[in-house]
Amino acid sequence: MNIIVLIKEVPDMERVRFDRARGVIDRISSEGEINPLDLWALQSAVDIKNRHGGCVTAMSMGPERSIASLRDAFARGADNCILLSDRRFAGSDTYATSRVLAGAISRMNPDLIICGEKTVDGDTAQVGAEVAELLDIPHSYYVESIDSMEDSGVVVTVSDICGSKQQRRMKLPALIAVNRSIAYPLLPALERKLESISLNVQKMGISELSGVVGENDAGLNGSPTKVSKIVIPDIVKRKGKIFQNDGSDNFINAFKTAVQRRPGHE
Amino acid sequence: MNSINKSIAESLCRIVGEDFVIEDLDKKQSYLYDQVMETVRPAANENSIVVKPSCTDEISKIMRLANDNAVPVVVRGGGTGLSGGAIPVRESIVMSMERLNNILEVDRANMVAVLEPGVTLADIIEEMDNHQGIWFPAHPGDEGAHIGGMAATNAGGSRAVKHGVMRKHIQGMEVVLANGEVVNLGGKLVKDNAGYNLMNLIIGSDGTLAVITKVILRLYPEEKYSGTIIASFESLTDASAACLEIIASGSVPLAVEYQDRDLWRGTARMVGRKWQLEKGDADIMIIVSEPDEEKFYSTCRRIYEVCKKNKACEQYFAGKKSEQADLLKIRSQMYEFSRQRTSHAFDMAVPVGQIAAFLGDLRKLFAKYDTTTNITAHVADGNIHNDILLINGKTAPYVEELKTEMYALCFSYGGTITGEHGVGKLRRKDLTKQKSETELALMRGIKHTFDPKGILNPDTLLESTCLV
Amino acid sequence: MSNWDGVMILAETRGDSIHPVSYELLGKGRELADQLGCRLDCLMLCENTHASAELNYYGADTVYAMCSESFKHPEEGLYKSNIVPFIQERKPGIVLVGATNFGRSLAPRVAAALHTGLTADCTALSVGADGRLVQIRPAFSDNILAHITTNSYPQMATVRHGEFSAPPRDPSRKANVIEVPLIALQYAQSAIIGSTVRQARDIAEADVIVACGRGVKSPEDIAIAQRLAELLGGQVGFSRALVDAGMADASCQVGYSGVRVRPRLYIACGISGAPQHLAGMKESGTIIAVNHDASAPIFGVCDIGYTGDLYDILPRLIKELEAGL
Repeated sequence: MNIIVLIKEVPDMERVRFDRARGVIDRISSEGEINPLDLWALQSAVDIKNRHGGCVTAMSMGPERSIASLRDAFARGADNCILLSDRRFAGSDTYATSRVLAGAISRMNPDLIICGEKTVDGDTAQVGAEVAELLDIPHSYYVESIDSMEDSGVVVTVSDICGSKQQRRMKLPALIAVNRSIAYPLLPALERKLESISLNVQKMGISELSGVVGENDAGLNGSPTKVSKIVIPDIVKRKGKIFQNDGSDNFINAFKTAVQRRPGHE
Repeated sequence: MNSINKSIAESLCRIVGEDFVIEDLDKKQSYLYDQVMETVRPAANENSIVVKPSCTDEISKIMRLANDNAVPVVVRGGGTGLSGGAIPVRESIVMSMERLNNILEVDRANMVAVLEPGVTLADIIEEMDNHQGIWFPAHPGDEGAHIGGMAATNAGGSRAVKHGVMRKHIQGMEVVLANGEVVNLGGKLVKDNAGYNLMNLIIGSDGTLAVITKVILRLYPEEKYSGTIIASFESLTDASAACLEIIASGSVPLAVEYQDRDLWRGTARMVGRKWQLEKGDADIMIIVSEPDEEKFYSTCRRIYEVCKKNKACEQYFAGKKSEQADLLKIRSQMYEFSRQRTSHAFDMAVPVGQIAAFLGDLRKLFAKYDTTTNITAHVADGNIHNDILLINGKTAPYVEELKTEMYALCFSYGGTITGEHGVGKLRRKDLTKQKSETELALMRGIKHTFDPKGILNPDTLLESTCLV
Repeated sequence: MSNWDGVMILAETRGDSIHPVSYELLGKGRELADQLGCRLDCLMLCENTHASAELNYYGADTVYAMCSESFKHPEEGLYKSNIVPFIQERKPGIVLVGATNFGRSLAPRVAAALHTGLTADCTALSVGADGRLVQIRPAFSDNILAHITTNSYPQMATVRHGEFSAPPRDPSRKANVIEVPLIALQYAQSAIIGSTVRQARDIAEADVIVACGRGVKSPEDIAIAQRLAELLGGQVGFSRALVDAGMADASCQVGYSGVRVRPRLYIACGISGAPQHLAGMKESGTIIAVNHDASAPIFGVCDIGYTGDLYDILPRLIKELEAGL
């Protein structure tokens, strides 16, 4: 069973700070780490490998520094690590990112591609389904368990779709995005962690991917969406408006307004 | 002893405003106890009155009122103590410091923070996140603890291995004496050799000498790279030998924690996590923190090698913040887990080189009573927490006898009855077994000098003489 | 100017019913279509057309309905195989999809097949000076709001349920439903082999939490909080005091020693706010506190507080919400 796990390096969202004046993330404020939800994807791949045999490849697209996250993936049980990195990939939106990933994957003949629920920085959950479409393979999101795994296909349980739990059979190759019921991410062995620090990670750019990814498929050129502006909303201070039991409806009205409002809504 | 009459309650209302004086028993409930388990805690006097001042001036007025009327005052912090210090056993004014929760200053040049006493450990950690490159390394446990309480009890915690206990981190204080006078002790000074160090008397006095109204806390360069290693060994002797060797190598970890495996496992299950170590019999957790990455990994490598040499069975590494937080939570919530099946919890400490031998003897002692004990230990500083189990949900008949034998064993190793939790109300009698009459007389003299009427937290640390 | 114009809403249906996010999208779609001076279409893939005219009453000019038994269970491959050719033929300038679990899984598949851009979870949509759709979405855990435009067609976006309000239903609008034949009858690569209604969720995932503390006196009274949570689409949580008292399960305990939560809305009932409790919930979106003790620390972290008897105020809130249904 050949499995590719898609991972992304993200800033530690607990610590990341924003430069409000310039509207950019203060990268120094936070070290990157594997997108937390990708740990479940990686662990589920390692679990499948331990049960059925095979090979787990961790693949990431991102700047050079993402090597650290791939090394961490190695410590956690990935056999191979591939970094898709090129200056010309910079500025890719989800579609362009999916083109590059699908291009690289198309050369590898995997049986299964696993990704996390979403990334905690972009929060779109789009790349998985887009990659599946570009590869013309079936996909399932919200996968909470892998119920059987054979050469002919995989049976998965989808936790919540239109209020139902579904069991699906998909032909291989297939792509799944997993949620946190799929596995229990284990701590890496210290020995493997120490080994991973100096691991050589295979790197691929536009030239290594020629034939499957064109110059205009990636980066800003290949992205149909453009960010025209970034606005940093003011930090909302708690208003701390306290109402007394004065017989009026003031509190009830404030309550009704508050339960209807959604954060970030203009 | 005087009771709290109506006129005292009215005076309190005049000082802090009636919203901040609580007499209704229902609302008072959460201010009467700390975290000491119900089986051993003394009963609170429910006629006590809760008052929540907002500044030093109000505290000073409250103290003057209490002193004039000889009413006991029990100062309350986060209520996370483990020695009954915050329980008002007589009819008292319970003075909750929750409204004095401002971080007054973070002074980078002098590497100190000036804090009101109600600032919690969680607040400090959060504030330090806003300041690049500095942090406060101590972590006595529950992050709801107030800094005032941490100072008054000289809290310890697992990170004392590398950074010491609270006493080491406090440079100055503002305190209100029993008679209402406000006194400043210490300051932003690194060196201060002028006379007796009164501040150090108040640290660890369990609220019996003065009310702490401001704390000047030391800050340190951030040790940005951190990781937690969990390792299992065939025996505690191997684990302890590994710990001693790690420390002797110069790579001092932030903390080294031992717990019986069923405590690790049970607490992990309770907080919804999994304890990954399965082989061997003695599990330790080692927290490493270093200012730079290279040093960090070389320390980890040395620990790995020392553990391997001492026949470690398995070693895992937590590097992500969330993974480290999970492990720390498993450690810090152990008490929540074990309290359900425990009647008495202990806090002895012995010289660190003797810890494996002491624990071996301790287990033999418990076997003699046909029972077992849960053990958790800060292996690298000699501080042990063990307990006496409930038998069929009830306190065992042999508790007092067993306790006497435990302490005798502890003293034979040159140990103490309390390494970090303090004497409080729980170990007042035990203290007399450890300390000589001469030492106790000196302590009583100090208490009398600070608080002649004995109104500050009576029945704590020492037997009360004045108010009775 | 491209030949792609008009706004199309992809409605989500289940059996005879239509997911309310579809109406909310119609409201926003109507606004955009009126501004652009173009049509507002709605495409629904459904088992039957019983409810389809409702989409007209909420603003759609034309409802296109593809009807089949095979749409009984949502499956992205089959849906996509029918939606994509329809969009290629109709060429709408804008396509909006509800960001339900199914929509979030289906929309990127459709967008990739159309080789166009997709913007997820928009919180605001408007028409820019150049006639393009300006899509605003939060990112980095709501730390930034990105303004996004799409330079390919259709311009696709998803919007979460509850983000926009539904317009008033107008039954005087003309019912205009056109049944269109299916393009693909099956998707061979994936099959649904079983489906069951889902169980309760983990409290850490709850969008709304109504939490009970010491002020809630008996297990029966928890039912009041339960009802409030139900009306808000949320779950009930507990402080340590109630868990210790055996009134609630530890898996629902909010706090440092329990579960740390970050719901959109946190309603603390009879919780004084011990530091260990606050540590577990203070990062919630909106915090509402009800407590009879005006000096309770919970009031220090709340957006809205009420000092008074929760047995008096909670039933009134419940009545208000029930009336609003």
